[in-house]
Amino acid sequence: MMIDTGTLRTSVRNGIEFIKKQKDVIDAEVFASWNEHITVRVNYTSDIPCNGIHEPKSTQGCGIALRVVFESGKGIKVGLGNSANDITQRGIIDAFSKAKRNKIYDPDFLSLPVPIGEPVLKNYHDPEAMEIDDETIVRLGWQGLKGALEEYHQNRFSTSIIAGGDITIIRERMAIASTKGIDNFDESTILTANITSMVERENVKGSGWNTSTHISRFRPEDAGRESAESAIKTIGGERISSGTYDVVFGRQPVADLCANILIPALSLSAVNASDTPFLGKLGQKVASEALTVYDDGAIKGAIGSKKISCEGIPTGKTSLIHQGFLTGFLANHYLAKKFDSRIASFIPRNGFRFEKGKRSYTQQPGIFPTNIVIEGKEEISSRSLLSEINHGIYIGRIWYTYPINGLAAGDFTSTIIADSYVVKGGGIAHPLRPNTVRINSNIMDIIKNIIAISNDKRQTILWGNEEVVLAPEIAVQGVQLDSISGFIA
Amino acid sequence: MKNCRYADVRLGIHEVKYAHAENGKAKGMDEDTALSFGIRMLAGEMCAWGFYSQSIGGSEARPKSFGEILTLGVQKAYARAIANAHKKAEFKPFAPSLTEVTLARVDPCRDIINSVFDEDPRAVPVKDILALCIKISGSMHSIGKDVRYAFLQVQTGIHREVFCSSEGACIDQAHALTQGTLTVVAQKAGGVPEVCHDYLGDLRGWEVLQGKNIYRQPLAEFAGMRTHETLELTGAEFLPATNEPVVVVTNPHFNALLVHEIIGHPTEADRALKLETAYAGRSWLLRDLQNNELGKQIASPLLNAYSDPSMNGYGHYKYDAEGTPAKRVNLIENGICKEFMNGREQAAILQHPPNGSMRATDPHSVPLVRMTNTVFAKGDKSPAEIIAEVKDGYFIVNHRIPSISESRENFRISAQKVYKVESGKITKLYRQGGITADSKDFLMNIDAVGNDFSVFPIPNCGKGQPMQIMRVGNGGPTLRSRAKLTGLRT
Repeated sequence: MMIDTGTLRTSVRNGIEFIKKQKDVIDAEVFASWNEHITVRVNYTSDIPCNGIHEPKSTQGCGIALRVVFESGKGIKVGLGNSANDITQRGIIDAFSKAKRNKIYDPDFLSLPVPIGEPVLKNYHDPEAMEIDDETIVRLGWQGLKGALEEYHQNRFSTSIIAGGDITIIRERMAIASTKGIDNFDESTILTANITSMVERENVKGSGWNTSTHISRFRPEDAGRESAESAIKTIGGERISSGTYDVVFGRQPVADLCANILIPALSLSAVNASDTPFLGKLGQKVASEALTVYDDGAIKGAIGSKKISCEGIPTGKTSLIHQGFLTGFLANHYLAKKFDSRIASFIPRNGFRFEKGKRSYTQQPGIFPTNIVIEGKEEISSRSLLSEINHGIYIGRIWYTYPINGLAAGDFTSTIIADSYVVKGGGIAHPLRPNTVRINSNIMDIIKNIIAISNDKRQTILWGNEEVVLAPEIAVQGVQLDSISGFIA
Repeated sequence: MKNCRYADVRLGIHEVKYAHAENGKAKGMDEDTALSFGIRMLAGEMCAWGFYSQSIGGSEARPKSFGEILTLGVQKAYARAIANAHKKAEFKPFAPSLTEVTLARVDPCRDIINSVFDEDPRAVPVKDILALCIKISGSMHSIGKDVRYAFLQVQTGIHREVFCSSEGACIDQAHALTQGTLTVVAQKAGGVPEVCHDYLGDLRGWEVLQGKNIYRQPLAEFAGMRTHETLELTGAEFLPATNEPVVVVTNPHFNALLVHEIIGHPTEADRALKLETAYAGRSWLLRDLQNNELGKQIASPLLNAYSDPSMNGYGHYKYDAEGTPAKRVNLIENGICKEFMNGREQAAILQHPPNGSMRATDPHSVPLVRMTNTVFAKGDKSPAEIIAEVKDGYFIVNHRIPSISESRENFRISAQKVYKVESGKITKLYRQGGITADSKDFLMNIDAVGNDFSVFPIPNCGKGQPMQIMRVGNGGPTLRSRAKLTGLRT
């Protein structure tokens, strides 16, 4: 069922040769992919009958996608077509007939991508992960659970325990060729373990995660152990009253704010829809000078890395905010061309066809982040970060972060659900009781009020998001926190 | 296959046409057929799950090729179930709550359910769909100079899924689905943009977009109405937030999201049984099997809520993804928490009757407990009377975006519009506001339930890992309760 990159490359090259011979064709791009998304879902509840590992599962897809530019009396028309599970000549003919049928006049479509530079990454996937068998998949899932249970048992907890989450393995291969001279391929493997565990009677929840591009360096048991450790550490949490606090956002909240608020607002898709607080602010100071944000899809060993985009463009660093100044937006080729002007141009490094973490032939290239990196101007240790706020709250995990009044307004809200503490005198004083505090703030206020950023970054992943954030901890002044859920107590 | 206890196969074919346009410019169109299957298997001495799925190409859809692919898929699902069962047995001494999977009994059904439509989606030319998108998005954009962005996407199609199980069930179900999705962004010069995102849709044919829908409006009128409302809001004042609860009247569109978030999700049995702890969260309604809110007062005696797949709406079906006949589930009766939506496995654990609430977005995905048409039941007071009785309060109109606590015990939901109510009269319009409350406080404080009732399409409910996006129906009548206002903090 697996298809190798050689077969994908042959298919896209044959596709280009076929399309070149067709009437009225000006340009064409052929994309082919094979990928598999494997998930082993962890579900252990000590007080409720359970499966431990709920279900090892996978979904697999393969296909070919075409973008064809046709000559038309009115200018040019562009047509899109794809064919599922058939990358032979027959699949190409099928996809071409769909592209021809679907062609439209879109005045914003200017051209197909042209080659830009050379890729940085080569052979960065794990051949062992590409060949992973069912028993290994299942074993990795149970290892994640084992880590959590061992930690609980060592600390003499055997009841009221929950350990949930997943071990996910993504195997993907793609090739692309175009009449513009693009002819390349990519092959990647991503392994993630994301475990949440609880001692429910103590109202505590902890998070743990582990990521790798290679099985040999993948430690799902560490994720399980970390989640249990973190839950145990937060036993005895207390409520706080509503008010404005200085806070340190831990790595998960930093990743959450990036994935759900900041990065969507730093995409040309948001500019196109006039739905970003950064509209018209390119080159202006928008944040604390302590903050630098960029996307870099070419970081060796990072799980968001790719050799090339799904438009065949080598990945690399795209500066978004540099020392507080807005320096760029994430772009694909279509919107980079549309917004290209004498005062601004955008390198289209982020045109991906992601669907549930995979590079899918069914999707057209949208704009997706790869590895988002947050840097400080002068980074300090985590301990020093607590000293910076002196009195306040360390927020370790947040949940349901949404731009509550639309992205452009910048308002957001979320609740603090785990891994959090009250800070006094520059140190941890005691845990914060989970699910008792709601954050009500605005992303522009947050990035303007950053006072320090830590030097210890970690690849952080989130449920339902494609990107990885190389997240530090960030200290921010004056964040509105509201006490909630009094009736539960 | 040795020690195979149960297997089911879902084979689905989706025939869909869609197009989208923005600001009167074509952006894309397609018509396609997608075929895929998913296999669930229970096997092993300590019975455990295994699952496999994939899409199928046109050439593989021939019986011989398809049979070969399906056989390979069965072998994969079986291998995973056996490996999983083996590990479960190995871990059992270390983790005593590990248990063999048991499914609550249902009678295997054999049935064919055809899709319902007046105008066959397959007969609508995709070029006509694109032309409609161009025309309507162009009209939206030209309503005023402050309309910065107008986007419209339309899809129509037929979804058919065949379910067969090793117990003898064989169900062939199909439904039509037609939907229009719009986004409009309006902004006065130098002001903050106002964004509206909404849907029109039903499990029927092209007639949905011609006026056979909850709004009784053709798509063009609906899009025009939302655009005018968004423009009007750009000139409104920002709603000031309050530190204390105030009287709020919430309309059915707003209550669609409210019931979804604070009643629907916490009454899903898989969530209550902690299966979503790492993702979508738990439920404050079930602490554990002994300590829970079943049979207890969690809302005003005026309030009833139920989930009913037999009603029309996005949550309509006759059999769920396990072949269980769908039925109405009474979630809250006179303020008392009564039942959870469940699947066969959760029903067995809870020792409740299975109620047919398992669905998957497509055959690729494993079934999860899902809302159906989950609603607040209607009451006996007219909406006009509910507002007329308010001396000093706010009318919360149409939902926007939610943020809910982990166990659904607290919520903040923004509204498209908020009006001041003074001496029973709607007075001033505010923008960028909403309400926040602890769920139980809000439910207990309900003192009026309207005799109006609407079910709205909610096409984008996220749950599971990998996340599945599911269509559900949500709604209810007008309600009156108390909550804090969210908005501008001074």
